[in-house]
Amino acid sequence: MLKLLKKALQVGEATVEYPFKPVEVAPGFRGKPEYNFDRCIACGACATACPPNAITMEYDLKQGTKTWNIFYGRCIFCGRCEEVCPTGAIALTTEFELAVASKEDLYYRAEVQLRKCSCCGEYFAPSRELEYVMSTLEQSGLPEGDRQGWRQLLEKCPQCRRRQAAVSVAEATGSRDRVQGGGQ
Amino acid sequence: MGQGSESKRAQKYIKDLRSKFPGAILEESSQAPDQITVTVKLNDLPGIVEELYYRHNGWLSTMLGNDERELNGCFALYYVLSMEGNSNKRENTWITVKALVPEKEPQFPSVTPRVPAAVWYEREVRDMFGLEPVGIPDARRLVLPDDWPDNLHPLRKDAMDYRYRPEPVEENYNFIEVEGEGIVEVPLGPLHITSDEPGHFRLFVDGEYIVDADYRLFYVHRGMEKLAENRMDYDQITFLAERICGICGYAHSVAYAAAVETANGIEVPPRAQYIRTILLEVERLHSHLLNLGLGAHLVGFDSGFMHFFRVREKAMQMAEILTGGRKTYGINLIGGVRRDIFKEERDQVLRLIAEIRTELDELLDILINTPNFISRTQGVGRLERQVARDFSPVGPNMRGSGYARDTRADHPYGAYDRVSWEVISKDGCDVLSRELVRAAELYESFNIIERCLTEMPPGPVLTEGFAYKPHTFALGYTEAPRGENVHWLMTGNNQKLYRWRVRAATYNNWPALRYMFRGNTVSDAPLIVASIDPCYSCTERVTMVDVRKKKARTIEYKELERYCRERKYSPLKF
Repeated sequence: MLKLLKKALQVGEATVEYPFKPVEVAPGFRGKPEYNFDRCIACGACATACPPNAITMEYDLKQGTKTWNIFYGRCIFCGRCEEVCPTGAIALTTEFELAVASKEDLYYRAEVQLRKCSCCGEYFAPSRELEYVMSTLEQSGLPEGDRQGWRQLLEKCPQCRRRQAAVSVAEATGSRDRVQGGGQ
Repeated sequence: MGQGSESKRAQKYIKDLRSKFPGAILEESSQAPDQITVTVKLNDLPGIVEELYYRHNGWLSTMLGNDERELNGCFALYYVLSMEGNSNKRENTWITVKALVPEKEPQFPSVTPRVPAAVWYEREVRDMFGLEPVGIPDARRLVLPDDWPDNLHPLRKDAMDYRYRPEPVEENYNFIEVEGEGIVEVPLGPLHITSDEPGHFRLFVDGEYIVDADYRLFYVHRGMEKLAENRMDYDQITFLAERICGICGYAHSVAYAAAVETANGIEVPPRAQYIRTILLEVERLHSHLLNLGLGAHLVGFDSGFMHFFRVREKAMQMAEILTGGRKTYGINLIGGVRRDIFKEERDQVLRLIAEIRTELDELLDILINTPNFISRTQGVGRLERQVARDFSPVGPNMRGSGYARDTRADHPYGAYDRVSWEVISKDGCDVLSRELVRAAELYESFNIIERCLTEMPPGPVLTEGFAYKPHTFALGYTEAPRGENVHWLMTGNNQKLYRWRVRAATYNNWPALRYMFRGNTVSDAPLIVASIDPCYSCTERVTMVDVRKKKARTIEYKELERYCRERKYSPLKF
């Protein structure tokens, strides 16, 4: 019993005065994920990797937008989004005080503009993502001539690209009519 | 995977089975050098499981049903046995006994009359797949709620969408009835008596003494297996697995990752193995300190409880430094880990270990010298050796009864075979032995963490670029603070799992609890439950029945806990 008293006096106070004083966390603490709109290319890697579906992506092909959406109420702070993001647009912070008065405040959304297909005029992919791909190609040392070809190809939607490829194959083999008939 | 040649360790068992049950073994396949699956004729199933369990020192580690109608037109049953007791631990192996159940006749001969350890598993298979264990002594529901429709079996592939919630029907659960003079029924709950979690206990008491007990659990069954099979990708489930339990979550995560890695033949880099081992031990530190604190609280030694929790905080800090999370480490991926350990972090952790070690020396000295502690725990809640043999309990619960069973030693994984350490066991069979096992294990954990941190080889921590193979199956296992966790899984198409079976440590400990209650007083009940360190979320109230007056009354949890601490003003007297 005396030992315990001695121990208690020796240790002193073991509690911290939180919430009246801030709590320090370790440098690598996995807290609230913060989103940086300027860096985001709306590729959707975070939404695919997110285990609890806290991050979702939605296409609106009429308005021409792609919406990035996070619901902090579902977030499990695993940090997979940070890990898979190619541009560093999302990163975990050391912030952990996430309580809000209304559920709506836990949602955070961002809209990114989509690019129209240069061939059929339908919205298909985020402009930023295409720019990102182009700049990556540039940095990889692709010659100017090839870049133009790639740009033309990237500005078409996947359907148009497929059609174009089929047509060019057909032209090369001399059976254009049949492919068109089948393609329509 | 290779057939036959790799599984030399299992051959002696197979040979014996072949001579005793001629023609019963239909097929053999090997998933890893120490994992072999034998398909047997359905009628020979109980005999073969009994033979391996009692004659060859096998333990029932898990059992599961699987709806394989899409693959081979049948349901399948897998009884996973851990074959131990070899003088050379390297000869230990896992034998899975598989049997196919035809779709038209969904029933199988129950193994339970011969091996009591199978009782919960078979009840679960009946609930989830609608396969009837013929001859099972206890045919009540186990997992499904009492207001669940009779003919809906959630894990059948064609049964239901995972979001479907059926309309409730009339509920009815038949608790066992104990006839006898002077037995009072005491309901304990609806909250759990030690960790504020739901579970219904029914204690049959004669005066102050418990003559028998019954319990209804699974009030918090979350349908994770169904969720994983339907909605999640195989590489996301490590995070789901970590949320099975708030205490031993990381052990589940490692077991899951190991199962996927074995099924797909993925090699994990040694450095990743060391990091996993360190974190598993950090988890054991905080869990054992928590349970020792809880034990102190229940014998009325609350200042000891506070001090254990103060020391435990250092273990939480260790986890925060190493992983960025205090409890959910979130560091596992299939093929390794996501975060390396740097020198600065290593030094901080080594300093914390030294601090906890000196603190613990003093605290344990105080705890053991507290007169109340020994008198309240010695000879209480005995888990007899024969009961332990029949029900395959795991963890400190088992090691307190004289069996040195520890998955870390029996089936080494991670870096456990690369660092030296000892399996702790005591043979008092009581609450005291179990707590002492935990205390001694803490020191082993300190050593393991220190050794791993200093001897960790350099190199990558993650294997990337592997192929996901559909329809392969394997076991993953870890020794969580409470005992062995076993995950069995079968991979499926589209990056999804076909079947995932999680068996948490507490699942194997619950069935033996009934025998541990017998002969003890009501005031010891919370302490006995606490000593197996149960985990309701992994697996899941108290009614007391006076057998002499034939009266039942419900006692509030707070009241019973107070009685356990103070042992005055018995709640049964009013």
